[in-house]
This record gives sequence, C-alpha cells and structure tokens, in this order.
Amino acid sequence: MNAKNYSNELAKEMNIAEYETEQWRAFEQVYIRKIMGISSIDVGYKLQLPIIGRVLRWNAEKMIHSESKNRNAVRADGHFGQVIPLEDAKIILGNLAAEPIIENYCMCRWMQRGVKEACCINFGVLSGVIEKLPRFIPKNNVYRLDRDEAIKRIEQHNRKGYVASVWFQPVPYINAICSCENPECGGLRLRQDFGLNSVYKAEYVAAIDPDKCQGCKSCVSMCQFSALRYIPSQERVMVDLRKCFGCGVCRHACKNDSIQMVPREQFPGLQY
Amino acid sequence: MMPKKSPKVIVDYSKCGDGGSKVDPRDCGKCLRACDPAILLMHETMDIRQDPYDPQIWRITAVWLNLCTRCMKCVQVCPVGAIAVT
Repeated sequence: MNAKNYSNELAKEMNIAEYETEQWRAFEQVYIRKIMGISSIDVGYKLQLPIIGRVLRWNAEKMIHSESKNRNAVRADGHFGQVIPLEDAKIILGNLAAEPIIENYCMCRWMQRGVKEACCINFGVLSGVIEKLPRFIPKNNVYRLDRDEAIKRIEQHNRKGYVASVWFQPVPYINAICSCENPECGGLRLRQDFGLNSVYKAEYVAAIDPDKCQGCKSCVSMCQFSALRYIPSQERVMVDLRKCFGCGVCRHACKNDSIQMVPREQFPGLQY
Repeated sequence: MMPKKSPKVIVDYSKCGDGGSKVDPRDCGKCLRACDPAILLMHETMDIRQDPYDPQIWRITAVWLNLCTRCMKCVQVCPVGAIAVT
C-alpha cells in the first residue's frame, strides 16, 4: 500500500483526468471496439487459435499492464486490479483514498445484466470525471460519501457477497474499490474465462479450521469462485486453494468462526 | 488443431436497439438477465451523433460467444423475437 499511488500529485503528473474522461465516456464499448482490426467478440475462440491466439494473448497482456506514455484510454490500457479482503478495503478508504469519494452505478453489471446498482466506490480524480456522466450517477443523487460512509458501504456490499477489488486506472494511479461478482465483472471475466491477468488474487487465501467447521455448507454458497466444496465423507468444507481469490467473503457466512485468512506466500505453489 | 467454432448469436437491430426500433435494450434487458453465463453485452453504439457524455442509442451484442450453451433462453424471452442462435 503505497500512499503515492493514491495522490492528487501523481494524478496531475500523469494527466489522469484526460485519460479517465476518455475511458469512461466510452466504457461500455471496450469489448466491441476493434483493436488493430480485432475486437473482443468471441475472444475465447480467437485465443485458442494456433499461433494467432498466442500473439493475441501476448498483446492483450501487454495492453492490460501497459505503462507506456501514450496509452490508449478507450481500450483501457494499464487498467487492472487486485482482489482484497474487507480489512484492506477499509484501510484504503479510511486513510489512503483521495477525496472526493463517490459511489456510482457498477458499469460492468449495467453492461452485462442491464441493472443499475450503486456499489462502485471511486475516489480522487475519477470522482470528478464520473460526475459528468449521468448514466453512472445514482437516481437519488446521493453519491458523495465521507470516509466513514464509504467504509460502511463497502462492508454492506462485502457481507452481501460481493468481492472487494482495488483498481489501477491506469497503473500506477489507484482510484477505485469495486464490489464485484463473477462472471459479470469485466476483469474477473477475462481472468476466469480467458486466463488473462486483468485481476490478481489477494495476498491471502482462506483456511478452514477442521475442528471448528461443523459442515453447515453456508460458506459454499457465498464463494464467487467455486473454491469451496462440501466433502461428505469428512463432514466438512474444504478450500480449493488454487481457485481461492482470497476475498474473505466466505467468512461472513460462517457461524462458527472457522475461516481465517492466511498469507498466500505460505503456499509457494499458488499464483497471484 | 483448430478450436471448436462458437455458436452464433445474432441480434436483429431493426427489431431491438439502435434508437429506431420498438425496443430500447436499456428498458427491456430481459435477454441480459436470462443468460446464465452472461454472454450478451449492452453498449452504446459508435454512432457519431451520440452525445459523448450521455449517449441515447444502445444495442445488444453477443460477445463471449464460446461460453454460449445454446440453451435458447434469450430467444424465448425476447419480446420482439430479435435474437437468433445458430
């Protein structure tokens, strides 16, 4: 957690306002826009093609993680994120996030399900950009939050089952904490269905205490990543660590306090 | 080896979206919610007449085609019969 990555100075230096205005005005077009003659339509097929697929994957990863000076905003160059547990989201919103903080409609769910749900918490320069775009502004027009309200809201979303994630836009400037679901979230979609590193897993994984777990299965229904499963012969739930994103949402369902988050680095075989 | 071809999901824009038809996908959105793998995407068109800050012309495009299971729920749920899956 580097405070500089949230600062207004960095935003000014990188000319973030211009990038984000361009990116957000055309946000829903990102998957239909042709990039070097190729759009994301049927990208699953395209990525599986011999040779061409590997070139596409290489190029997509290069775009997602681009740190070059002339990044293209409409294709969201340098825009990727990481899943974080609730505790880290609270620290960011309570201390690091640049004001003003706003809560606007989630554009991924709008694109994918046609629903408007205010659950994306944005801050810093991005707040001013989104305020000019009526389709993202909640109907009741209450969207400016102070730090305590933002923390309260992220906790509500997290308990509901949404996964907290923090986003570069573009790297290294951080200005959003989303509450995502799978597969509607554009970032989780690219990672889960197409193996692109648009979202990284959290620095933690869930660990279930076998003595405390009573096998009630409540946590299984909370997991967005199908990482939890009930093992009948053991009468308890086990975590598939390779699938676990470390979001910690399963803990809200556990009545026996049997799920703890442990550092991912304890398991050298796991990916981020 | 060549990968398996994805299903084709075609939306008839004379029936849905693009401003001129009977249905605005922003008001309807039934297909978006019917699709379990959420392969359909609602987006503003690239029409140059659009207000860049508040676009009013929207359409539906099937994007994640390889995840389509041809369950036909979108075809059944569409009130104007605008979707065809092959």
